[in-house]
Order: sequence, then C-alpha cells, then structure tokens
Amino acid sequence: MRLDRTLALARKELIELRRDPLLLRIVILLPLAMLIIFGYAVNFTLSHIPMALLDLSQDRTSRELTKAFTSDDAFDILPVESRKALRAALDRDRARVGVVIPEGALAALRKGETLSLEVYVDGSSPVTAFQVQARLQRAIESFNARILTARALTGEIQKPPVVPKVEVLYNPDLDTAIFMVPGIVGLILTQIAVLLTAIAIVREKESGMLEALIATPVRPMEVVAGKTLPYLILGSIDAALVLWLGRVVFGVPMQGSWWLLSAFVFFFVLGSLGVGIVVSTTTRTQIQAVFGAMVYYLPAIFFSGLFFPIEGMPKILQALTYLVPLRYFLEAARGIMLKGAGLLDLWPSLLILVVFGLGTLTLAANRMSKRLV
Amino acid sequence: MIEVMGLSRTFGKLVAVDGVAFEVHAGEVFGLLGPNGAGKTTLIRMLTGVLAPSQGDARVAGRSVVREPEKVKGRIGYATQDASVYPYLTVRENLAFRAALYLPKSEVPAAVETSLRRFGLEPIQDRLARTLSGGWRQRLSLAQAMVHRPGVVFLDEPTTGLDPLARRAIWDQIYAEAGEGVTALVTTHYMDEAERCHRVGLLYSGRLVEVGAPAEIKAKAKARHRFLIAPRDFDGRSDLGGLVDVWQAGDRKKVILRRDAPVPPGLHEIEPTLEDAFISLTKEAVHAS
Repeated sequence: MRLDRTLALARKELIELRRDPLLLRIVILLPLAMLIIFGYAVNFTLSHIPMALLDLSQDRTSRELTKAFTSDDAFDILPVESRKALRAALDRDRARVGVVIPEGALAALRKGETLSLEVYVDGSSPVTAFQVQARLQRAIESFNARILTARALTGEIQKPPVVPKVEVLYNPDLDTAIFMVPGIVGLILTQIAVLLTAIAIVREKESGMLEALIATPVRPMEVVAGKTLPYLILGSIDAALVLWLGRVVFGVPMQGSWWLLSAFVFFFVLGSLGVGIVVSTTTRTQIQAVFGAMVYYLPAIFFSGLFFPIEGMPKILQALTYLVPLRYFLEAARGIMLKGAGLLDLWPSLLILVVFGLGTLTLAANRMSKRLV
Repeated sequence: MIEVMGLSRTFGKLVAVDGVAFEVHAGEVFGLLGPNGAGKTTLIRMLTGVLAPSQGDARVAGRSVVREPEKVKGRIGYATQDASVYPYLTVRENLAFRAALYLPKSEVPAAVETSLRRFGLEPIQDRLARTLSGGWRQRLSLAQAMVHRPGVVFLDEPTTGLDPLARRAIWDQIYAEAGEGVTALVTTHYMDEAERCHRVGLLYSGRLVEVGAPAEIKAKAKARHRFLIAPRDFDGRSDLGGLVDVWQAGDRKKVILRRDAPVPPGLHEIEPTLEDAFISLTKEAVHAS
C-alpha cells in the first residue's frame, strides 16, 4: 500500500465533493434538517421494563406491591441487595427504573400511615421514562385501590396508602431533544457514511471511471482508504456540527469524555463507510446504490433503539438488535453525553465497533479486489 | 509488444471473445475493427488486465495478463470508451491524479507539464473537465492514458462521436506518440481511420476474421472476390451466379461477386476500399460458420 497514491485518491475525492453542489448540500443540509425534524419524538407502549427493586421490608405488603408491579407484564423485577447495587443496575443499563420499598411496609399500612416509595427513573431516554412513570403510577394505583376497598369495608377513610417519590436521573426534565441529539449523530453518520460512499463509488462505475481506475496499478486497499478518508473527515465534521448545535440550541449536556465519544464516532464511521463500499460493489447504478444503502440503514435505524425502545420489541427482534452497530453507538453516545459513562462501562461496545470498523473495511477491500482481476 | 494467444471470454452462455490470436509489434499502430458487439471492448479489457480471460493468455509489455495482471497495468496506458475524465476536476487535476497512480510523487509535476504541452492542453489546463467539448475531452482522455509515458497504450474508440477535424487531431496525436516508439492498439468502426493504421484486425462476433496491413487485406479480398459498380436499377439477386453482397451506394449499387464468377454486362470492376474488403471477408466468415 502506497501512501501517496492513497492521498491522491483522497484529494481527488475532496475536490469533487467541494465542487459538486449536490454532494455538498447533502453533507451540510441533511444533518441540519434531521436535527430539526427529530428534535421531537413519539410515545410507545412498553412492557417488561427492567426494574431494580430493593425490598427493605421483606413482608406481605412488599410482596403484594411487587406482584402489582409485575402484573400485566409491566415490569420485570431485578432484585438488588443495596442502594449501591440499585444505582449500579441503572448505570449499566440493566434497569430502566429503580424502586426502594422502605422498612416496615406492613406495619406502616396497619397504622394507616402513607408508605413512601423511593423511585429512580432513567431519564436518558424520555420516551422510556414517561412510559415507566405511567406504568408505575398505574401499578401503585391498583394496589392502593385494593387496600382502600378493604379499608372502606371496615369503615375507615384513609389517605393513599402508598405514594411514589420519583426522582428522574440523568435527564431530569425528560427533554426529548437531549435524548434525541446523540441519536441523530448516529443517524446522520450512518446515512452520510453509507449513502455517500456507496453513491461516490457507483458514480465512478456508471461513468466508466472505475474501469479506468482499476486499470491502473492502484491497490484495492488504497482505493478503499482513499475513498474512506474524505468521508471520515466529513462524518467527523457533521458529528461535531450536530453536537455543537445540540449543545447551543437544545442544551444537550456533555457529562463524559469528548475523547471517548470521538473514538466511538471514528470506529462507527469507519464501519459504516465499509458498509457503503460493500453496497457499492453489489450495485451498478446510483439508484440501486441508494436502495442498497436503505436496505442497510432503515432496519439499522429501527433496531437501534433510536425511535422504538428495544425493550418494547418482541424477543426475537430484541436479539436482532445485537447485530446492529448503531445500537452500540447510540448506547455509548447517550451513556457518555447524558450519564458520563466511561471506558470502563463502554469497552464492550467500543470493542464491537472496532471489530465492525476493521471488519467491514477488510470485506470492502476484498470485494474491491475481485472486481480488479 | 502485444502477443495474444487464443484468448476467449464467455459471459454465461454468451461467447464474447472466441479464441483470438494476433501480435502487435513495437511502435505499431494497430487498429481493431468490428461492428458494435463484436467483442472489441471485452478483448481490450482482457489485454489491460481489467477482466480475467476464460481461456488462453496474452503477453502485454512482456507480462502475462493471466498471471501478472497488476504488472501489466503498471506498464500500459488505457483510455476507456467514452472519455473517462472526472467532470469536477480541472484538466490539470485530472492529469495529476492519473499520474500520481503510476509515478512516484516527485515525478508527477514534470509528467503533468510534459503531458499538457505534448497534447496541447496548456490553454485549457484550468477548465473543469465537464465544460470541455467532446474533442477536448477525448484529447484529455488520451493524455491521461499516456501521462506516465507507457510503452503500450490501449485506446477504446477514442474518436467515436467526434467531428472530422477533432478525429484527425486525435489521430495525429496517436501517430506522434507512435513515432516515439509507443505501441498503440486502437479500436474504431471508422474505415478511414482503419486505413491509417499500420495493421488492422477485423473482429466479428468474437472471432478474429482477418489481420494484416490495409493493403494486404484489400489484396486478399481481391484475390477472392470481384468488386463491381452497378446502375441503380440493378437487381442481381435472382439470376447472378456467385453473388456475395449487393448494396446501395449513393446513386449506384455496389456488388461483390466471387472471383470465379463472370462479370455481368453493364457492370464494371473497381478497386475495393478497405470497407469493401471487410464486408466481403466478413460475409465469407459468416457463410463459413
């Protein structure tokens, strides 16, 4: 592999990008449009929401409450032994909500006191958080109704026996934009990277330029690297643009490390570019390339948890989401920006994206070389 | 410089090139002729290492296109059909890009300057390729194919769609390069261009029907056929023995007969053009197969 040839290819690509008005518009305006469009999101019904439950009572009342939570498949209980464990479950995304039932629940109810539950809601995904609160409220109300009915028969009028004291973590105002902006970064990177590289290569194929190119002594890896480099730069610029606007316009916080986020952006874009090149090797026209890219990124977007919470999907589809690189990028971007997650929490995701990045590029170079002989 | 040995290529059931063998000598301008779909481009793609042959081999600039296609690519130049230039790059940028793929970085600027001068592209060096006329685009395409000064160049229809003046300019350029020892294989379907080649090969439905200098090919055709001019109302189809072909040419008709057939009254014999020769030899090949 010769560096000067790779750079010549990259330089040529950048000149074309700079001068082709359409491409430039896609690169600059598409991210802005998406940021505005997806600043708001929709609501979805959730079930089997993972709940970390710290039961300090361990009595009949606390067991009744737990049963109320699991009825209608609303929550899946993950029992924890301490507040620290409860917080850790939320931090590592093993639970969306944490509930603490205080000591002496049965005794409190007998005395007619109001039992106050501590509730911690993961607010990094507002769509999920709203749902979690609504379902929790419903479960407690139905529990209360049963208790009150029993009390009414005995003639006592009472305050609600159980009230939740809800604290929303990470994104206290449940601001949709805060949740969406890290997602939009992923969405834009996927589109820009896959679509533009696929189009850029197929365009050369259509105009006969690729034949001229493969008739030169250039190596497949040089072509792949030369095509990748400019879009890696563009992808990074787009990511920075969206993140900056997210901060200025929507007030998205940055709790974690920019470096770690950059590492995720880098490998995610690298992998997406590889996908774009692979798509381009299987298509002949730009129209085919656009559809080929869509075949990849539409399911990727749906299964990433960007719009539809993964917890709300059937089990089989949930399993499929593990194959979607965007999922790991989203989890990482939200984790880093909203929760301040570090490498310690996110290294498995980073590792998967590194494999994704290097894997697709290798595949791309292999597919390229077949066309060259 | 080019030695083709029984080269074949199939695409599924279609036989695009069928056992083609010929040689092109150093410094020669070799014209590859044939109608559309005859297999000219497929043959060129195999000779440039872009497409793997199904059978046979060829040595180009001393290397096998089957075993060392990448070595071949480094030693040749190739101008693909319909002038492959990057529309959003200037003339100079197009040349510099192509040069950088072949030459070490230090040699690129000099190669670009030489190429601009040789091909007369200096006045338009800063224009975007998309703004060039067809003739200039072809000239740029030619310059690109030779920017690294290869010993062998393959030019696939370098003049298709050009006006006569632009065509002549391209051919003058090809001959100027050949004069300096460059071997050129050029495909065309213009007969007047074929006449200008040192030697030509006629490709017809994947087979090489004839190879030789234009004069040789005409002589060969004359040895087998009579070429005649007939009045416009001539209709020889029914009663003429040994008829090979007849077609309208201006206000008269051209007739090709087998050599042994007698000259009918009212018709007189002429010298065949290269086109006439090719038609007669192609017809013969069709009959034979």
